[in-house]
Amino acid sequence: MKKILIIEDDPAVSDYLKTFFEDNGYAAFTAANAQSGYDLAKQEQPDLITLDIELPDEWGPRFYRKLAGDKNLKNTPLIVISGLSGNKYAVTKAVASLSKPFDRNELLKIVKETIG
Amino acid sequence: MPDILFIIDHDRELAQALAVYLRRQQFEILLADSGKTTMEMAHSASRPAIVLVDPHFPETDPLAFLQRLKDRLPQSQFIIYGPSDTLEKIMETFNTSALTYIRKPVSSVELDFALKKAGEWIAIEAKHQKITNEIKELQSAKILLQQLFDEVPCYITVQDRNFRVTATNRLFKRDFGNDIGGYCYQIYKHRDTPCTHCPVAATFQDGRRHQTEEIVTAKSGTPYHVLTWTAPIRNEAGDITQVMEMATNITQIRQLQDHLTSLGLMLGSMSHGIKGMLTALDGGIYLLETGIARQDPARTAKAFDQVRKMVTQIRKMVLDILYFTKSRELQYQKVVLHDLVESISAVIQPSANRHNILFTITTPPEPVTMEIDPDRLREALINFLENAVDACTSDQHRKSHHILFDARVTGDDHVCFEISDDGLGMDRETKEKMFTLFFSSKGSSGTGLGLFIANHVIGQHGGAIQVESEINKGSRFIICIPRTNGKP
Repeated sequence: MKKILIIEDDPAVSDYLKTFFEDNGYAAFTAANAQSGYDLAKQEQPDLITLDIELPDEWGPRFYRKLAGDKNLKNTPLIVISGLSGNKYAVTKAVASLSKPFDRNELLKIVKETIG
Repeated sequence: MPDILFIIDHDRELAQALAVYLRRQQFEILLADSGKTTMEMAHSASRPAIVLVDPHFPETDPLAFLQRLKDRLPQSQFIIYGPSDTLEKIMETFNTSALTYIRKPVSSVELDFALKKAGEWIAIEAKHQKITNEIKELQSAKILLQQLFDEVPCYITVQDRNFRVTATNRLFKRDFGNDIGGYCYQIYKHRDTPCTHCPVAATFQDGRRHQTEEIVTAKSGTPYHVLTWTAPIRNEAGDITQVMEMATNITQIRQLQDHLTSLGLMLGSMSHGIKGMLTALDGGIYLLETGIARQDPARTAKAFDQVRKMVTQIRKMVLDILYFTKSRELQYQKVVLHDLVESISAVIQPSANRHNILFTITTPPEPVTMEIDPDRLREALINFLENAVDACTSDQHRKSHHILFDARVTGDDHVCFEISDDGLGMDRETKEKMFTLFFSSKGSSGTGLGLFIANHVIGQHGGAIQVESEINKGSRFIICIPRTNGKP
């Protein structure tokens, strides 16, 4: 089963994503801030990460640079899901950038195309 | 049209002889040979220019007859003739009411002379009448222009090259005083020197109209937003001698705009939150849909709970926005003054420490409760204190600074907060404009929003702000608000 890490500080939204991914046959786990997200990523080695740009402890793009510096994680595909407009410029190497509120079918399509 | 000449004589033959003679001189002749016909004809429509009259009729007193005739024909020139013995008496009484007097028997030379004189008089009279009418028209035009000048719903000033005001209209006098001869920049802005971008100066220079928007201060101390237009006034040689400045008070429009702008700012700052809520609502709906489809009561219940929570939040936010569009009301709460002061100093103390500013707080010894909207008032007071910190950090005159934050209860049941600093201080212009939206003395580091909102909040609490400030000495704000909410 493919693993997805959800980094999102709004519990209602992260719960939504977790349920949605699980319903569609993925294993999902959540982190509410950048630090625990990084720790969880190292521990679980997910197949894909969804990232909110505004996190309580760190700015999303900085987190991404940290991720890219880790040899085991740098190739993990990343989907940005954020309420900020213009977020597609925030993490240029992201597979996709979705604006909240996002279309879940679109999200699922992107996930399937990326990790199957 | 020939002038009408009215010949009145008891002696009909003499009258007719005169008529023949005078018709040749291009007069239109009326004739009367009795007192009765005279009065009847004097009533008729044709007004004689000259009346040639011998007032001696057998049945009437000549003086009384003349007087009646003169009353009937006040505009006519009278030439009175008669036998010399009675003529003198008539002359004494009637005097200058007649143009001239001729003795009987009438000589043609005397008559011609008298008629010539009458002609001249009539011409002068006509000219006089014409000039009188013209003056009347000019006067009414002048009154109309003055009325226009006075009643235009703008502030009008006429200024010379030194920006000295030489004329003002009524509205200006009402709001800015009767200060003819004062300087524009003093009256409008309480400045000692001309403003940097002056439309009047620009018009003097290029002769064109110029438009600016200004904030001016009325004699009552109220700031007004005005839109000003200038226009040159030229002398006969075409040189610009003065400039007229018309200022329209657009304060109300600006206030509305301020309100809309703050609404826009608020919506902008809320948009992130709104997006988050909508996403969470989407999540709730997803859980609800799948929960029902899978007949999973636990999931459905959780979903329903989430949808309800989100709907409540969105509802609250929408109501907040609607509230704001109607100028939001305060949420009054009973608050202990010391707690309020403490929570404020918790924000200010760290930044005071960082900048080597001594921050002193004094509060009344006994506990004081007050009814306020704690969130709003707290924000407002923090704003004043943050400004005090800024005023100290930008001031190079002193090495260390001191900010005092004092709260006290006054005799009339008000709570007064005094915030004083020994920082930069403000000039008069800054002092007058600091509460207007988007006015900032801090250049790009200020938004011009803080004190505008703070002032609004203090006003909503029924409070007043007193400001004392002096350049390089510091500023003192005294903010007094009623201790209890006066409203039922």
